[in-house]
Amino acid sequence: MIHLKKDETKAMVAVHGWSGILLGILLYAVVLTGTAAVFAHEIGAWSAGHVSTQSAFDKPIDATVRRLTAMTPAKYHDDVNIFEIGDHGLGVFFHRHETGPDGKPAERGIYYQLDNQGRITKTVEGLDEDVFGPRNDDALSSFLVDTHVRLHLPNPWGLLLTGILGLAMLVAAISGLLIHRHLFKDIFTLRARANPVLVNRDKHSVAGTWSLPFAFILAFTGSFFSFFGTIGVPVVAMAAFSGDIEALSNAVFGNPGKVDARPVAIGNLDRVTTDAIRRVGDAPTFMAIEKFSRADSKVTVFHNPKVGDIEPVVLVYEGADATFIRAKPSVGIRPSVGGTLTGIMGPLHFGNFAGMLSKAIWFALGYAMCYVTFTGMRLWLVRRQDEAGSFAWLERTLTVVGFGLPLALTVSAAAFLVTMPLGSSVYWTPAAFLIASALTILLGIVAPSNDRLTWTIRGATGLVMLSLPPLRLLAAGGPGWGEAVAVGQPVIAALDIAFLAVGAWLVHGCWRETGARRSSGPVLNRPIEAQS
Amino acid sequence: MTWPTLAALLLSAIPILLLCIGDPKRLRAKDRKDGGMATPKRRLLAALACVPGIACALTGDAAAFLMWLGGCAMVGWAATFWFRSATPKAPS
Repeated sequence: MIHLKKDETKAMVAVHGWSGILLGILLYAVVLTGTAAVFAHEIGAWSAGHVSTQSAFDKPIDATVRRLTAMTPAKYHDDVNIFEIGDHGLGVFFHRHETGPDGKPAERGIYYQLDNQGRITKTVEGLDEDVFGPRNDDALSSFLVDTHVRLHLPNPWGLLLTGILGLAMLVAAISGLLIHRHLFKDIFTLRARANPVLVNRDKHSVAGTWSLPFAFILAFTGSFFSFFGTIGVPVVAMAAFSGDIEALSNAVFGNPGKVDARPVAIGNLDRVTTDAIRRVGDAPTFMAIEKFSRADSKVTVFHNPKVGDIEPVVLVYEGADATFIRAKPSVGIRPSVGGTLTGIMGPLHFGNFAGMLSKAIWFALGYAMCYVTFTGMRLWLVRRQDEAGSFAWLERTLTVVGFGLPLALTVSAAAFLVTMPLGSSVYWTPAAFLIASALTILLGIVAPSNDRLTWTIRGATGLVMLSLPPLRLLAAGGPGWGEAVAVGQPVIAALDIAFLAVGAWLVHGCWRETGARRSSGPVLNRPIEAQS
Repeated sequence: MTWPTLAALLLSAIPILLLCIGDPKRLRAKDRKDGGMATPKRRLLAALACVPGIACALTGDAAAFLMWLGGCAMVGWAATFWFRSATPKAPS
């Protein structure tokens, strides 16, 4: 395909291998949780037994917001954010802008959490970074997303790390493209019973080749999100706005207009949502009201992309009389290539631009990325099989992370289902993950062989997966399949079936391989079916 | 949008599947001596596989095009896995 000189190829192979082996384990963790997070919304509905299917914005919100306005101190009436939470409930954040303790712009206010009947379930006052966090009913999906976004490290370090991992993935994709001379010739060649190096090479290169365009897309967009706030915004603010991030934000994302601070009651928000739904064809996902209760108030309504498009839709309305002003690009006030590219970053990364089909395809692509990362690290090890003694610890580490991470995630899901009815899922979901991880690491140390370690972890994962649907029904009190399908939430039954099928497959594989294991050699020498 | 995209995917899946079945290198790895599909035929099938995606792109349906591209990648990978060689070969 692309012909490099011998020494250049050698250098590229070294770059590809070492970047992969040094960052591959962390990259695998980020990609695996990202793959699961494609269905974060569905996992949230499945785990918490959400049975409402009507968007909160499809129902009247104006009276609710006016009721909350009357309860909220005027000092928090600067801006209001409105969004969906939980089982199509409403989150409403009345706030003002101020400088946080770290000297950066922050929002302080009152965050109301309402159920889908408009009843207030919780009220939290404080800075935005304190009031927003996992809730008892979304602790599992929040945990998944937070692991993917920043590996639970404090800001900005977590974002910087995941950004670097995204760049490492980009480097691996480019170097992989350059070193693979027969990209298209080998695209259908998957030898299952050749020598271990060829078997692992085929697995890695075939999956990598088929998913190559998306490796670029997912790595680039992921790095973009990680570096956007941590490096991009501060650098641009420093260069063009004397370090004033608030001024940058207003100039790039704001709604310019004449200042008119006269107090005027907010217009009818139901009129805004009705008009927005009519224009876009779908309910909004987020509503931001600037200068709430002022004559120059603006209401910005955010939507998922229209049918056939991948760019999210943003509409702006006059706050005072709820009249439509214009459609707004993601960046600036006029459409531009940069604005469009910024706008499509999210849908390209999350795969949420066309409902379940696009999510399913993005999930499969994420799985392919996991597979490529894992098999790449295995290939690196297999090529050094003669030095197996010196890399035995790495082989075990790879097994502990590669198979232990899905186990720990599954255990955290089980813990969520048990503790959600007790109101302690925010604590126990990550705690169970850590406990399961610690036990897996311990198992990795004491297991007599890597082979046995592999099948023990896989079998345990299968057993926990098989327990999830009964736990959801019995411990969490979730809806049965008939009820879920009847109310328009077939995804609950679909996820149950998926867990049962994968769990049964893992347990069956463990059962079969455990019997065959005694007559075989170490896992690196064994047929590849046993390793995949 | 789901059904046209699925239709485009299905239309591309057929030539991808045929390309996989007739792939010379895959057949050589299985010790099949018939040499596989001829190059012009493979090129024709590859072009045919691209037609639904080009149609999606020409209609300006970016979402359908992306889903088609990602879906074809997964169909190709799945086909390769399904038809993988299981014939024992001497280590090289």
